[in-house]
Amino acid sequence: MVVELFQDALFAAVAAIGFSAISNPPRRAYLYCALIAAAGHSLRFCLMHSAGWHIVLSSLCAAALIGLLAVLFSPHARIPAESALYPALLPMIPGIYAYKTFGALVMCMYYGGEKEFLHYFYLFANNGLTTFFILLAMVVGATIPMFLLPKISFQATRQL
Amino acid sequence: MACDCEKPVTDQNNTPASVSREPDVRETSLFLSEYAVQLFGSGCTCVRLEKNMKRIAASVGMNVEFSILPRHIHITVTKGAEDCTSVVAIREMPISFARITDLSRLSWQMADGKMDFYEARAVLPRVCNCSCVSPWTLTFLVSLANASFCRLFSGDVWAMAVVFVATFIGYMLKRALLSRHIDMRLTVLACSFVSSVTACAGGITGLGLTPEIAVATSVLYLVPGIPFINSFCDLIDRHYICAYGRAMHAIVLVCCLSFGLCAGMALMHVPMF
Repeated sequence: MVVELFQDALFAAVAAIGFSAISNPPRRAYLYCALIAAAGHSLRFCLMHSAGWHIVLSSLCAAALIGLLAVLFSPHARIPAESALYPALLPMIPGIYAYKTFGALVMCMYYGGEKEFLHYFYLFANNGLTTFFILLAMVVGATIPMFLLPKISFQATRQL
Repeated sequence: MACDCEKPVTDQNNTPASVSREPDVRETSLFLSEYAVQLFGSGCTCVRLEKNMKRIAASVGMNVEFSILPRHIHITVTKGAEDCTSVVAIREMPISFARITDLSRLSWQMADGKMDFYEARAVLPRVCNCSCVSPWTLTFLVSLANASFCRLFSGDVWAMAVVFVATFIGYMLKRALLSRHIDMRLTVLACSFVSSVTACAGGITGLGLTPEIAVATSVLYLVPGIPFINSFCDLIDRHYICAYGRAMHAIVLVCCLSFGLCAGMALMHVPMF
């Protein structure tokens, strides 16, 4: 369990660094992206595997932690909160659920029989709803700290 | 850029004579137009754009109101009875948090009196040309990130290796196509196709025990995550049209990605389930 948790944090950090590089952040943001992503993903892992929470609720809590840490770290790093928040959030994107949603949709169109169609439509709806609610939980959880703490969020780049 | 002003201006250059005087509404409007285009194009949320622009306008004793349309930004600068309205086209440019950081800092420097309007106007083009990570380093980091992503979805080491190669090839293609100014949607379609074919080839050759995870993960570096998140931020801040525009842009890219993936899997005769 501990090894799995460590692995989860490590790979989330590497994914955050790589995906943040696409959006060209300031160099000092990379470390914060990695740390925040590792913390958020670890929390989701613990909530899902230890506490047995649903992935949507776990994602909401993890995203809120990511959002809060990004806002609190931003004045220290002198970067806008989004620079660390968005890349740290990206490793939580439900890629496999999205893939299964699209796959089931294609199979719905491919099969004409009612039984097969209903089976794949069930898979489409089930995975699609999960994808949608994970995404919703992620963005709600991550952005709310930014709006609740506007003085910190929007003054991080000020040099006094 | 279109500009409709009540009071025409003759001196727009950063000459010693102009440095000594206060900027007028037209100069401010033109500066804010360029500033807004750069900040918005870099992937900034509407709430930050609004705060930064109002901060700059207040630093020169003016007020600014703006609306963001899917392809244009409409800006009106007012000072007492004078006003100037500009309409500026949004330019497609790579997302850059470094540029957002520098532009935000510029607005604070103006607000805190550390930089005057004409200095800021002279500095703006340099802020906008900030350097990026080297292309090869970027390609390597993105490939590594996507391989790690595969591991987070319980892919094995072979699946990670396949995803790394598929992403590396796909991202090199993306760079090549974008440098030739190919449409973003076609680029995403082509990259998704190439990456999925590469990942399917890895699965067909029997590498690892989780080939379906490799195929599913191989195209995830193309997901427009930041426009999606920005879209929701704009929704919270009641910039509904901008939120809709950003969401539609992201959805179109996801559709292109899905079609590319589907075509790649069909070509390689790999079933979805």
